Amino acid sequence: MYKPQRLHPLAILYFFIRRVYKMAQALIPLLVLAIAEAEFRRWLLLATPFILLLFFAYGVLYWARYVFYIKGQELRMESGVLIRKKRYIPFERIQTVQISAGILQRLLGLVKVQVETAAGGKKAEFVLEALPRQKAEELSSLLQAKENYSQGSHLGKAAVEYTLSTRSLLLLASTSNSIGVAIAAIAAVSQFNDIFTSVHIWEKLGAFLKDIVAGEAGLIIFLVITLLFVAWLLSLLGTVIRFAGFRMTRDDKKIKISRGLFEKQQTTIPLNKIQSVRLIEGVLRQPLGMQSVQVVSVSNIDAKSEGSMIAPLLPKSQLTRFMGVFLPEFILPSPLQGLPGKAKARYYLVNILPALAIATLSAVFIPWGFLAFILVPLAAWLGKKQYQDAGWQVAGSSLVLRKRRLARVTTIIHRNRIQSLSVSRSFLQERKKLNSLTIAFAFGTNNGHRVKLSGLGDEETRVIVAWFNRST
Amino acid sequence: MRKKPSRHIDINAVKYWRYKSIIQSFFSLIILTTCYYAAQVWDWPQWITPVLLCLILSFAIFNIFFKPGIIWRTWRYDVTEQEIDLFYGIFIKKRTLIPMVRVQHVDTEQGPLLRHFGLSTVSISTAAGTHKIPALSDNVASSLRDAISELARVVDEDV
Repeated sequence: MYKPQRLHPLAILYFFIRRVYKMAQALIPLLVLAIAEAEFRRWLLLATPFILLLFFAYGVLYWARYVFYIKGQELRMESGVLIRKKRYIPFERIQTVQISAGILQRLLGLVKVQVETAAGGKKAEFVLEALPRQKAEELSSLLQAKENYSQGSHLGKAAVEYTLSTRSLLLLASTSNSIGVAIAAIAAVSQFNDIFTSVHIWEKLGAFLKDIVAGEAGLIIFLVITLLFVAWLLSLLGTVIRFAGFRMTRDDKKIKISRGLFEKQQTTIPLNKIQSVRLIEGVLRQPLGMQSVQVVSVSNIDAKSEGSMIAPLLPKSQLTRFMGVFLPEFILPSPLQGLPGKAKARYYLVNILPALAIATLSAVFIPWGFLAFILVPLAAWLGKKQYQDAGWQVAGSSLVLRKRRLARVTTIIHRNRIQSLSVSRSFLQERKKLNSLTIAFAFGTNNGHRVKLSGLGDEETRVIVAWFNRST
Repeated sequence: MRKKPSRHIDINAVKYWRYKSIIQSFFSLIILTTCYYAAQVWDWPQWITPVLLCLILSFAIFNIFFKPGIIWRTWRYDVTEQEIDLFYGIFIKKRTLIPMVRVQHVDTEQGPLLRHFGLSTVSISTAAGTHKIPALSDNVASSLRDAISELARVVDEDV
């Protein structure tokens, strides 16, 4: 039995530092303004020790009142100094348990435990801010062990392990899609500087355009390339920091992932909570024959992307073996069935029309804007790829849908994880007797996730709907 | 594809949507009047008001006279022991199947206008979003809600 217990006493220090830090953050503008006044400085000097003491006392009280324990089949937490809070979570509602360590926890030699349920919201339902690692792992295994597993796996007890080599890590980082984010960040910073160094930003912009027209474009192109390169380096660094030391293990009940250079992230995903598996082939990675494998579970930790990558970068040749070892429940049936030829036009149109519109607008309103017409053949090419890559297959109890926006994503889902299935037909599709298929499954926060495949013929649709109805 | 689901929504729904559209059009007219005066005060181009008026009128005519009937004719549903089957849409016809075991809970909702016509909307929640059957008569809606709730309880798998 797990007796009521408190966090590690060092948690007092953690609460204290965090509170002071938050307070300081909120007050910095005020301090900067007021620090010039001698009167205020004296007052501040006198008051600071008292305020700190108050915070420390509050930290002690908070720690003393913060109790967690296991009773029956529930994890329970009671906390709060002024407002008493009690939270009970039944074991079967627990989706994932994550152990991590932020900078503050690392300094104190402690870890943080986050317990997630399927309920929506950004924060984990249950956070134990500071525990010794050993106790955290004990609790984690206790919570996981009590789970009732309905889908037994046919693997033995022995755990299998997968790690990311340094070479793969660097390749992963250099082809990372977060390049765009880094570019945006740099652009924002450089604009910010502009606004501060010169009020005449519009004049500058005018001069900039004149430079282009005057043929002094060399410097500008050089600048843009440098900017892109720095952005790329930044995103590379970010990915290395987040994925260094990647290690994934699977036993007969759960998948465990740990990764991170400075902040160790540890995620546990029970096998019976897995909703679907996504194989993602990024634009830069597909030509290299690389893809990532993502597990979709109901939990909301990192629901969108990284937290649930069970293989951040996997050569195509190894996929079958990898899936056979780690996720035999989700083996990809091959080959997929393509779409009928009459669906092709739609894929071209949805890409070419917006490109044409953008190009026309920019040709009219921006000098040299007609260069944007380069987008049109690119869009046509994308449309062709999207048509070629779209596909589906049903095998046993699993459904596979593959589609491309930019990256090619293959979703493998079991029938009993599909929350609803829709078939729609627009008045344009009516003419060609084509349908769009949408499946919805639980993913991340409350609204779930949908995958839509357009351009299925009537016969194909009938096969999929019949397959879906077999369960019910 | 299988044949369409058999049950229609309540015929009063046509009246309900018609009144709703009338109220909405009335609000659009208020905006239009504001726009007319704003155009006078700030020297906006002269064509804005007539163009807006035409747009609002044509939408109002479609929404008041045609759309309610079309929606009523196209909306179909069926509830069996195994699944909920929805079929609707004007320009895009959509058929949705929800297995009964995936239903988390059902609600009936009723705004003031719906109450006036004795109608309710049934909304069916799954772990991946909510589906609605609009404008059923109160009796049908509440018995449907109870029936779905009962059927969904029979098999209770985890998410």
